[in-house]
Amino acid sequence: MTDRLAGTFFFLLAAGYVWLSAGYTAGFGDPLGPAIFPRVIGIPMMILGLSLAIWPRHNASWSDAGGLLRQAAAIGLLLGYALLLEPLGFVPSSFAAILGLSLMMGAPPIKGLLTAAIAAPGLYLLFDRVMGLPLPLIGTWFT
Amino acid sequence: MIWKMTKLKAVGLASAMLFAAPAMATECIAPADPGGGWDFTCREVGRILSSEGLVDGNVQVTNMPGGVGAVAFANVAGKRADDAELLVATSTVGVTQIAQGKYPAGIDTMRWLAMLGADVGVIAVDADSPYQTLDELMAALKEDVTSVATAGSTGAGGWDHIRLMMLAQAAGIEDIAAIRWVQFDGGSPAVTQMMGGQVGVVSTDMGEIKGFIESGDIRVLAVLADEPISAFPDLPTAVSQGYDVTGYNWRGFYTGGDVSDEDYAAWVERLQKLYDSDAWKEVATNSGLEPIWRGGDEFAAYVAEQEQQMAEISRQIGVIQ
Amino acid sequence: MDILASLWAGFSVAALPINLALIIGGCFAGTLIGALPGLGPVNGVAILIPLTFAFGLDATSSMILLSAVYYGCMYGGRISAIMLNIPGDEPAIMTTLDGYPMAKKGQAADALAISGVASFIGATLATVGLTLFAPMLAKAAIYFGPADYFALYVMAFATIGGITGSDPRKTLLAALLGLMLGTVGLDPSTGVARYTFGSFHLYDGFDAIVALVGLFAISEILFFLEGKAQSSGLVPPGRVFPRLSRVKEGLGASLRGSVIGFIAGILPGAGASLGAVMSYSAEKRISDKGSFGQGDPRGVAAPEAGNNAASGGALIPMLTLGVPGSGTTAVMLAMLISLNIQPGPLLFQRSPDLVWGLVAALYLANVVLLVLNLPLIGMFTRVLGLPVWGLMPLVVAISYLGVYAITHAAFDLLVMVGFGILGFVLRKLDFSLVPVVLGLLLGMDMENNLRRALSISGGDFTILVQSPIALTIYVLTGGFLVLSLYLSRRDRSRTLD
Repeated sequence: MTDRLAGTFFFLLAAGYVWLSAGYTAGFGDPLGPAIFPRVIGIPMMILGLSLAIWPRHNASWSDAGGLLRQAAAIGLLLGYALLLEPLGFVPSSFAAILGLSLMMGAPPIKGLLTAAIAAPGLYLLFDRVMGLPLPLIGTWFT
Repeated sequence: MIWKMTKLKAVGLASAMLFAAPAMATECIAPADPGGGWDFTCREVGRILSSEGLVDGNVQVTNMPGGVGAVAFANVAGKRADDAELLVATSTVGVTQIAQGKYPAGIDTMRWLAMLGADVGVIAVDADSPYQTLDELMAALKEDVTSVATAGSTGAGGWDHIRLMMLAQAAGIEDIAAIRWVQFDGGSPAVTQMMGGQVGVVSTDMGEIKGFIESGDIRVLAVLADEPISAFPDLPTAVSQGYDVTGYNWRGFYTGGDVSDEDYAAWVERLQKLYDSDAWKEVATNSGLEPIWRGGDEFAAYVAEQEQQMAEISRQIGVIQ
Repeated sequence: MDILASLWAGFSVAALPINLALIIGGCFAGTLIGALPGLGPVNGVAILIPLTFAFGLDATSSMILLSAVYYGCMYGGRISAIMLNIPGDEPAIMTTLDGYPMAKKGQAADALAISGVASFIGATLATVGLTLFAPMLAKAAIYFGPADYFALYVMAFATIGGITGSDPRKTLLAALLGLMLGTVGLDPSTGVARYTFGSFHLYDGFDAIVALVGLFAISEILFFLEGKAQSSGLVPPGRVFPRLSRVKEGLGASLRGSVIGFIAGILPGAGASLGAVMSYSAEKRISDKGSFGQGDPRGVAAPEAGNNAASGGALIPMLTLGVPGSGTTAVMLAMLISLNIQPGPLLFQRSPDLVWGLVAALYLANVVLLVLNLPLIGMFTRVLGLPVWGLMPLVVAISYLGVYAITHAAFDLLVMVGFGILGFVLRKLDFSLVPVVLGLLLGMDMENNLRRALSISGGDFTILVQSPIALTIYVLTGGFLVLSLYLSRRDRSRTLD
């Protein structure tokens, strides 16, 4: 079943990809143009996707409700980390992200807290101060 | 010794490092990955600014790659338009992008500070090439525009391509868009492919391919400068051969559009002092740049004129409608 | 015996105390940077450039430091690939294929030792090649035109099919997906923005490191969250000390991988990733009896020898022509120029101290890396014993940092999470991720070289098969495919007997 879905998805993706390629034109100096290579990729992809949808071989099994919930929460946390890194600053946001992820993965609360409390400023020191890659220590919300 | 430090001291030192007020106020954004031309402009100029005492502390270099400078441009326009401690490195390449509408806004969004030097365009052929002079090459192209495959480090519509188109136009070639153009990932790959016989002519910046000129592997038909350049005074310019075309790739800076006149003037003055320093002259010549100064309003006017020129030729070859 | 005399002079430069210290420090820093997901050799080298200015190093010492870091990264990339199934940098992707399965079987120490020795062999042979043949090889590489490069990429993708996975359709789909993602961004030939949907952030396309970390590291986390919360390690630490017998199994593969990788490295633009891919797929054709992908030592040795040999090979066009063979050598070249050393054909004559000092330093760096890496194996395997809840959140934070520190764009972090979800779903659906990354890494160059070839010929497709080099590559590819078909038939009839 999942193969059928995946095949259909790839077919639609490739079809959209090929369709969009029609808009890419350059009227000078380039015999092949920017649209041909996407078609060379997209058309076989449509065929393969279709074949997967018609003759599936594999069925993926997903985890139970608890697992799915944890995965969704983790994705939410990762997106939040990405979005809040600048506003909150590196150290607070990393602290929260490391703590959250480690608790989700089953860390004993005290140890998780300790890991996050050491790692967040430690990584800042390593990157910003030792390697010279500038990072926001405190975010734009606090200044 | 470090290993003997007690844990307490280590924690103290670490927190001191963590919360020590950053001594750097000035920031230079390099709108590219580390290692590129814009990155080096920021790093070198930043280094000299602080070693000459023109700014307090160090200049922090921030890499903000994306969209050939468009990401940094949008970021400064949106978030830091009034930040008086901010420099953004740019060059002719950035202006080409603006002229072709590939940045989120036009040149008047920013305040253009100064250019500190320029790389010079060259037109080169292989040492074994039948073309001895620019005239011979242009004559061949005039007879049949597809007779020679030309190449450079930018795509069609990029600065390397446009410079060649300007020359072809000056030579009276009409169907310039039909000239075969091949893009390579840099000037030296283009030159080696020319030495391997894949293409006939290379148009690119001189800095990157100096080594091949010195070794005699390639022949320079024209230097796109007003005057012969100091590193190779014997190489002929296009101007001296009767083609009124120059093609500099300058390196300079802009800052946000809302920076006050006072701060703007102060930056122009600091950059002029930097330009006059021996340290900059040395860095510039080392990296293959001709030190050329244009600052303040003069520079802003120059950028505006260049943008006009680029937009026009881009329209002629069909890069923009 | 010009070369020997020059090399001897080179060793006298490299053996200066300051240079020795730089070699050791650079190797160590490089190994660490390479092992951290999200930081590759390009970043490693770029990070150290300001440092060389700060120390006021001369050109030779600077290049020695940067090259030691470069070699160190190549060694380091394999560590997280083997232990966490997360390649530390692009060329290490092939090492996950057999390295991680070995670690899962409790043979992490063996895999680390095999890859360490293979890296040593690859890098040393490449350095020997560099010493003896550099000018000659550079001359040959010039004659490799766009049509020939295109043939090379066709070969790489034609042989991908057999690399991984149960369903060849899925391997192909994965590669096509990678190629598709590779077309996002400004088209280099014409500047047309493709599939960017109006976002300037997508103009440069998807960064390989962002994709790599997302696909491998983030998806790994989602996998862990699948089961019940666990407090044990990722994989069994197993033995702490590697066994010599296992290391010996990888020797033949290392030698073969070195040769293939070296050739890929000499060609500017092909680089270490291609070297690793070709070494692995060639080795699989030659020696696979069904054990590849399940943790075969030869599947670890071949790509590691390949990518290290390729990085050595990439120094040849850089030193002899001034043409960067990879992103890292591009940064090193820019560095040379700013130190008033003009790269190009005259470098060997003008700066013999620099060139031969560097070459000698590379020999020393290899030895240092081997000596440094083997005792560290025990330490690395102990990392495997750390609980997942401690290790994986750190990997995430480091990845975020590595990406953010280089691009300063939260957008790239979101893209990374997106790649993570994509990687998770693909793995769930039994797609291999390696072809996706290869498509993304190599697709752009493949298209560009095709476009270049056709620009040169003015649209005439016969240019693709006119050059004898391209023809040879196509014949080899054909032979390769026929051979593997024959071998798989033979194996099947054997199992029937």
